[in-house]
Amino acid sequence: MAEGTAPISPEGAAIGRPIARDDGVAKVTGRARYAADCRPPGLLHAVIAPSRIARGRVTAFDLDAAMAEPGVVAVMTPANRPPLAEDPDAKTAPIVFRLDLLQDDRIRYAGQPVAVVIGETLEAAEEGAFRLAPAYAAEPALVDIDAAEPFVPETVGLGAPVERRRGDVEAALATAAHRVQRRYETAAQVHNPLEPHAVVAVWEGDRLWVDTPSQNVARAQRRIAGLLGLPPDHVHIRSPFVGGGFGAKAFPAGPQVLGILAARLVGRPVKLVLSRAQMFGAVGHRAPTRQTLRLGLADDGTIAALAHHARVASSRFDDFFEPAAALSGGVYAAGAVETTHEAVRLDIATPVVMRGPGEATGSLALECAIDEAAAELGLDPLAFRRLNHADTEPISGRPFSSKALRACYDAGAARFGWAGRPLAPRSLSDSDGRLVGLGIGTAVFPSMMFQAEARALLRADGAAIVELGAHEIGQGAATALRQIAADALGLPLSAVTLRTGASDLPDAGGAAGSSHTATAGSAIHAAGTALVARLAALATADPASPLHGAGNAVLFAADGALHAGDGRRDPHAAVLARAGLGAIEARGAAAPDRAARASHAMAAHGAVFAEVAVDPDLGAIRVTRLVGAFAAGRIVNPRLARSQLVGGMIWGLSLALHEAAQFDPATGAIANADLGAYRIPVHADLPFVEALLVAEEDTLVNPLGVKGVGEIGITGTAGAVANAVWHATGVRIRRFPIRIEDLALAMPGREKEDDA
Amino acid sequence: MKAFDYLKPDAVPAAVGALAANPDAKLLAGGMTLLPTMKQRLAEPAALIDLAGIAGLKGITLDGDTLTIGAMTPHAEVAASATVAAAIPALAALAGGIGDPAVRNRGTIGGSLANCDPSADYPAAVLGLGATVITDRREIAADDFFLGLFETALEADELITAVRFPRPLRAGYAKFKSPASRYALVGVFVAETVAGVRVAVTGAAASVFRAPAFEAALAADFTPGAVAGLSVDAADLNADIHAEASYRAHLVTVMAKRAVAAALE
Repeated sequence: MAEGTAPISPEGAAIGRPIARDDGVAKVTGRARYAADCRPPGLLHAVIAPSRIARGRVTAFDLDAAMAEPGVVAVMTPANRPPLAEDPDAKTAPIVFRLDLLQDDRIRYAGQPVAVVIGETLEAAEEGAFRLAPAYAAEPALVDIDAAEPFVPETVGLGAPVERRRGDVEAALATAAHRVQRRYETAAQVHNPLEPHAVVAVWEGDRLWVDTPSQNVARAQRRIAGLLGLPPDHVHIRSPFVGGGFGAKAFPAGPQVLGILAARLVGRPVKLVLSRAQMFGAVGHRAPTRQTLRLGLADDGTIAALAHHARVASSRFDDFFEPAAALSGGVYAAGAVETTHEAVRLDIATPVVMRGPGEATGSLALECAIDEAAAELGLDPLAFRRLNHADTEPISGRPFSSKALRACYDAGAARFGWAGRPLAPRSLSDSDGRLVGLGIGTAVFPSMMFQAEARALLRADGAAIVELGAHEIGQGAATALRQIAADALGLPLSAVTLRTGASDLPDAGGAAGSSHTATAGSAIHAAGTALVARLAALATADPASPLHGAGNAVLFAADGALHAGDGRRDPHAAVLARAGLGAIEARGAAAPDRAARASHAMAAHGAVFAEVAVDPDLGAIRVTRLVGAFAAGRIVNPRLARSQLVGGMIWGLSLALHEAAQFDPATGAIANADLGAYRIPVHADLPFVEALLVAEEDTLVNPLGVKGVGEIGITGTAGAVANAVWHATGVRIRRFPIRIEDLALAMPGREKEDDA
Repeated sequence: MKAFDYLKPDAVPAAVGALAANPDAKLLAGGMTLLPTMKQRLAEPAALIDLAGIAGLKGITLDGDTLTIGAMTPHAEVAASATVAAAIPALAALAGGIGDPAVRNRGTIGGSLANCDPSADYPAAVLGLGATVITDRREIAADDFFLGLFETALEADELITAVRFPRPLRAGYAKFKSPASRYALVGVFVAETVAGVRVAVTGAAASVFRAPAFEAALAADFTPGAVAGLSVDAADLNADIHAEASYRAHLVTVMAKRAVAAALE
């Protein structure tokens, strides 16, 4: 994975520098302490007993057998679970998901916790959970998205419109010179972070200490405090390191709360860690989709109409509808455009946000359909995309705050070597006789921002501590945020300490929506700016300062000192020393600029190019090269940004070729609930992945000009890989992930390809 | 995991005696299947009879055109053996492709055959080469040994001591492996022997089986092209989350071609 070529000019001493992650050494040496590493004195171990059926009731437990197992301390069931202050099925906030906390004997999905066994050892608890042997009254379960009756939900995603329209799509389709209609299927997926959900809960009277991984400690604090009837500040959540979340840790999951309740029940500290198999159960997943794209095309190659309709699945008892079609309102220019959704309810756990929720699956279908439209017209797929570049956001007509997509096409195509690609599929092969194909996809991800607060403390020695409840979930946030803090305070990086990952710190918003650097970074920037202003006020009012009398406006902070711009300077430490202050503190807050966001569309863009080689006998697909070029506003740390983009691209490859949670129609359970059969790409699947950074300046998106890089890599990539497979073989597979048997068995009979 | 007794006899009669005396016991060879099975609670034997302490169950000897491999010989030893490489290189290559290094260092040929997993590699070589399974009490021809899904001709208290392979004129093995377990989704072993051509297929059905149509075609013309137009009936094959029967049938043909090509190398 080589370094990119596009230069990003450093702005400030720290921002823009490709420094290694601050937590790298701690992680590779094992010193980083994750939740499951915590071992308070007197610790007991709790194990969840998951439901083996997907719908019905628990009729009995063999409590005697479980309690007879040596080392078992208690069994928590609906009969003895400590009381809650809130019904876990109550919607107590605008965005809150129903939890299964042993409120009754009802089973709503396979893997739902039906009891918790607490033991002196993990082994005792596991054996007890097995001996508990729940008996069930099973009812027929439905887990097939195609077999359920659809309805139109009120909203999709987290409150987004279910339908959006601009122009008359049906009329434009009716009069279009060419029409392309295609249906695509994507599979259910499971987040599977390396670190499973874990909780270590310690009660001290009515105060609760919780070590647990979280992408949003403030939200987790509110939810847990609400359920337990505690003042929020009595719930102390610590989450210094998170071993990946991808959305599964954006909301507190039922098992985490059950660990806390188990500790309450037994009056001792309790640790509860999910097994890998249990990660395929009660902690969320990405719902499957069925998507239909309809395009009307003019003879000149422009898109007259674009309609994207998605069917998605949620659980029977709660609402999360993957907004799979929504992205298509913002990617390609079209005379008329509409995005619509329908949903079904299944006997599954409630899906939840998963890296690129909606954007990932929607981009895959859109980019395939765009490719199929280009083929219909006999156009080069990149030329077709350039021709239909959206100068304004198609669904709203708003201008973009910035958009360097054309530069991404240029940089990516040049690096990848797109020029000279033969138009016809099945034109290329390699020396091993494999069929070679080249594909492209456009990447796009909205630039979100939320509210956050931060505080900065400057000490007499000139060093600073910046505190906020931000989240280092492996993405490098702690490093990038410290870089922002250093520049905001005008200090060298070595003088800045960042404290994050605890609910006792100011609310920094969640690590979600690719927004964390923008959101938390803007709060840090505000806190740093406020602190420098206080410092400047002290200096300019101090007759002993070289800056005495200088106007605040001309001062700036850098290298640990205030500067007047004319050579006069006054070190931070000197200002404090003369003022007789041990430290000064400032707070800052950040929030999205509502006016700018109403008048402008804001998104990061990119272009992803894929090369694949397909074994013509086996249908086996190897991605041999992936090159992405991305423009995402200001890049705080190019090294970590590339790592994020490459990681996203690998997710995109996986969406196209690997990951599928396979529900057993007989039991409703996930049949491949392990990392042997649920295929996540390994290094051998990824020969060469490269992310280029394309320079882009954005003065509207937020004070830092940061757009976010966490999820955009998935978009574009999945479609590029699928399009490359078509280009290699001439076979268009529309069920994802592409199964090699579908490809192999279709290859001899290409003429039978179903264009429905 | 349920508690169990652990026995470590130092001779074959003692092991067989222990097994006869304790019908709920299991013989432990490399444990590559038995131990995970116990951990998953799919098996709860009352006792494990560890064969690791029995001298003479391990080793590789070549006597004329007969290669004998002791039942407790791990796959890695077979893969690395110059004797095997010289006598039956396809067998060494097969052993070197089983599982991963940890499995190859622990797993044994006797354990693999006694377990008779439908996706195991060794059954393809034993049936494809027309080998003989030697037990504590008799010799069983490969054609009589594999009876079905995890089912062999072994009696309940019978112990494999060695496997005897005749040296073929040429042989080859090709498999399409699961990316995680390296088990054969389909594996085909092809051998040309003095007694004729044998083709054995593993992974595709409940148990390893011979493909007579492929054998006849290769007897007439030992080239990949001879089997390219042949296929096995998908109706007899396994279908599961890893592959449908139609793809397994497709793979039998592709792997047979590749096995012949390997034999000709």
